[in-house]
Order: sequence, then C-alpha cells, then structure tokens
Amino acid sequence: MTPQEKLSRFEQQISPHLKSAYNLAKWLTRSHADAEDVVQDAFLRAFSAFESFRGDDAQPQNAKAWLLTIVRNTSMTWLKRNRNAEATLGFEDAAAEPRERSLDPEEILLVSCDREEVRQALEQLPWEFREAIVLREMEGLSYREISATVGVPLGTVMSRLSRGRDWLRRILSGPKSTPGSSPKSTPRPLKPQEGAGLR
Amino acid sequence: MNCDDSRIYLPAYLDDELDVAESLRVQKHLAGCQDCRQTEDEQLALRSTLRDPDLRAYPSADFLERIEVVVRQAAKDEARSRRSSRFEFLRLESFGWLPAAAVLLVVTTIGALFVMNSFRSSHQQIIASAVLAGHIRSLQPNHLIDVPSSDRHTVKPWFQGKLDFSPPVPDLSELGWTLVGGRLDYVDGRPVAVIVYQRRMHNINVFLWPNRGSTDEAIRQEEVQGYQILHWNGAEMTYWVVSDLNNAELLEFARALRGH
Repeated sequence: MTPQEKLSRFEQQISPHLKSAYNLAKWLTRSHADAEDVVQDAFLRAFSAFESFRGDDAQPQNAKAWLLTIVRNTSMTWLKRNRNAEATLGFEDAAAEPRERSLDPEEILLVSCDREEVRQALEQLPWEFREAIVLREMEGLSYREISATVGVPLGTVMSRLSRGRDWLRRILSGPKSTPGSSPKSTPRPLKPQEGAGLR
Repeated sequence: MNCDDSRIYLPAYLDDELDVAESLRVQKHLAGCQDCRQTEDEQLALRSTLRDPDLRAYPSADFLERIEVVVRQAAKDEARSRRSSRFEFLRLESFGWLPAAAVLLVVTTIGALFVMNSFRSSHQQIIASAVLAGHIRSLQPNHLIDVPSSDRHTVKPWFQGKLDFSPPVPDLSELGWTLVGGRLDYVDGRPVAVIVYQRRMHNINVFLWPNRGSTDEAIRQEEVQGYQILHWNGAEMTYWVVSDLNNAELLEFARALRGH
C-alpha cells in the first residue's frame, strides 16, 4: 500500500466514523475539549495502525468498531493520565442501590420526554455502564463488537447493559427534587449465565 | 421461563441478540405476564430516548476540518519518512522524471530478461528430464527401437507418415558409431524422432525435432543421474543426445553427428 493509497483508503473507510468517534469520546470524557484531544490522538493512532486493519467495503461496521476501540482506549489512557481517578474508580464498592419500585405509565412518559435529565443521568453512570450504553444505543454496535471493543466477555457486556439501563430507569423515575445529584448506589448485580442463549 | 429469567433475558431480547429458541421463550412469557410487559415498555421507552439523535454529541465543523488536515499531514510525514529511511538512494524527484523513466526501463528490461531466461532454462530442464526419461524407458526390453535396422535407407523412410518432418539419419558407421534403429517418442508436447546408435554396447539415443527457435550450434552438456545429456539447436533440427557413454566419447559422437 503506497502512502497515497493508504490515505485514500483511510478517508474512505475510517473518516466517515469521525462523528461517532467524537460522540463516544464526549460521553466518556464528559468534556468537549477533552473529547477533541482524544479524537485527534485516536485518529493519528488509527492512521499509523491502519495497515493492521483488515476491513472491506462489505463490512463497514467493522471499520467503525475498529475505530471506536481505539477511541475508547485513548479515552481511557487520557483519563487515567489527566484525572487519575475516574477511569480506575470501581463501582462495586459503592453502597446502597436505588429503591426497588415499579414505574407507572405517567412516569414512563416522563422518562422518555425529558432529554436534559436523560443526559445528566447518563453522565452520572459509572464509566463501564456508560460506555456500554453509548456503544449499544447510540452507535448501534452488537454485543460481540462491544465485547471486542471493551475487552470483556459477552456475558459481562450483557450484564453491564442490563444494569446500566436499570440504573438509568431508576434515576429517571426517582424524585425530581434532586436533579443532578449523584447516584448514591450501584445497580443491582444481575448474574445471567455468561453468554447463555446469546447468538 | 419465570419472571426472573425474563428480566435477565429481556434486554438481550430487545437488542435482538438472543437466538431464536430463547427469543420464543421470552415472547411466550411476555404474552402471559403483565408485569414483564410493563418492564418491556419501560425498556423500549428508555431505548428510544437514548437513541434520540439530539442526545448525541456533535463535533464542530472546524474540528472535522482540523482532523482531516491532521490526517493528511500524518500521511505526508509518513510518506517522507518512508522515502528517507528505505529509498533514499532511489529518490526519483532528485534527478527528474526522464532519467528516472530510463532507469525504470533498464531495470524492467533486465528483470524481464532475467525472468525469461530463467523460464527458458527451466523449460530446458523439463525437456532434459523428458529426454532422459525416454532414454531410460528405451533401455527396458523391446523399448529401444521400433524399427531395427542398421540401414539408414530403412530407418529414414520408416518415419514417413508417422511424423510431420523427415529426420536426417546419417550413417556414421565408418567413424565407429553403429546405427541400430529408430523409434517414436513424445517430448515437449510433440512426437519426436529418436535415432539409436551404439558403441561397445552403449546405447545412444538421439532425440530430434524441427528447430523453431534460433540456431545455436554450441553443444551444451549436462550430467544427470550418471547419464550424459548433450543439446544443441541446429539450423533445421533441435538435438538432444543421451547416453551412459563417457563424456569425451559422446562429445565426439555429437560433433560427428552435427558435422554430417
């Protein structure tokens, strides 16, 4: 591959996913400026590693997952270096969890309507859950692609998504008097058999 | 499937990540369970909120442009460093395109000649193997000759109608080479004539067919598995001579045959 071929193939296959890269970086770093730095760094890494990418036109999704893996890892590194806290902070050591209650139909309506609240709720989610939900719901990656991107087993992807969504639902259906307050708890741990019944 | 199972599998079910059997089990449970249907509705509501395009973060137009510039610069830097590290001595722009094209032509020509030459010699190798195999086959009982005769006036006409050419069958008996006969063989994808001579019980197989290439009377020789193989391209015929006779005597034979 000549340098010219490489550039044109990169611009064909990888550059179209720049917006997805930014979206993921923004949700992971929660900062516009940080997201820009991370994406720029990730694109340079992606370009220099492009020879190792074996994608083709028939599988454009793979190019996206490949790029998002780099963005994800770059975000992780960046956060560790610059904040030295969040990325390594576990969520298992948090204490209680939101109270168990079912939602009535009007609350469901609230959940689906208030976008600003959803944004805040998602930003409050611990890193692991946030990245799983962004990759799944916003970027449309399959469980298998998320598993490869994040580097955890399928069963873990499944449980993170499930717990993250539960947490969001509880935050969003909780008392409206404390907008923006941090969640005091973790989602209830679910233990599906790893990968059981998955495609 | 009970409600606990259903809760576990519901997200994967909604994400279309379950196999058919599991999906059917979840569906079946949902059909008969009000609570789980409500959970499903909640999940779907949350999903549509999360998939709302307005929830996404969008980069600025300036940023998109900046990334494009950054990537192109990286491509340029890479191209430059590749050239300087590996092809410094071949930097074409340093001596203009015309000499560069000339150099390229020369290099290509040498390469082509090299390839053709090695192809030709490998082709020669194939013929040499075929000729040697024919010689060895001829040493088995009743394989040496189809027309046993020491008379060239018997051997030569025998080929008529069997080949599209008339092979020369010189009489070399005065020089000590006894004609014993001739046969047909098949070499290089075509039927060929084989003339068999003898000296002191050593058989000499002369394979020949019309020469379609250039004339090269120089005799090439090779020893394979203890047999001597001689080859030259005469003005009319291509010759391959095989024998277990010693090299010096066989060369003498080849000169006699060629000079005839």
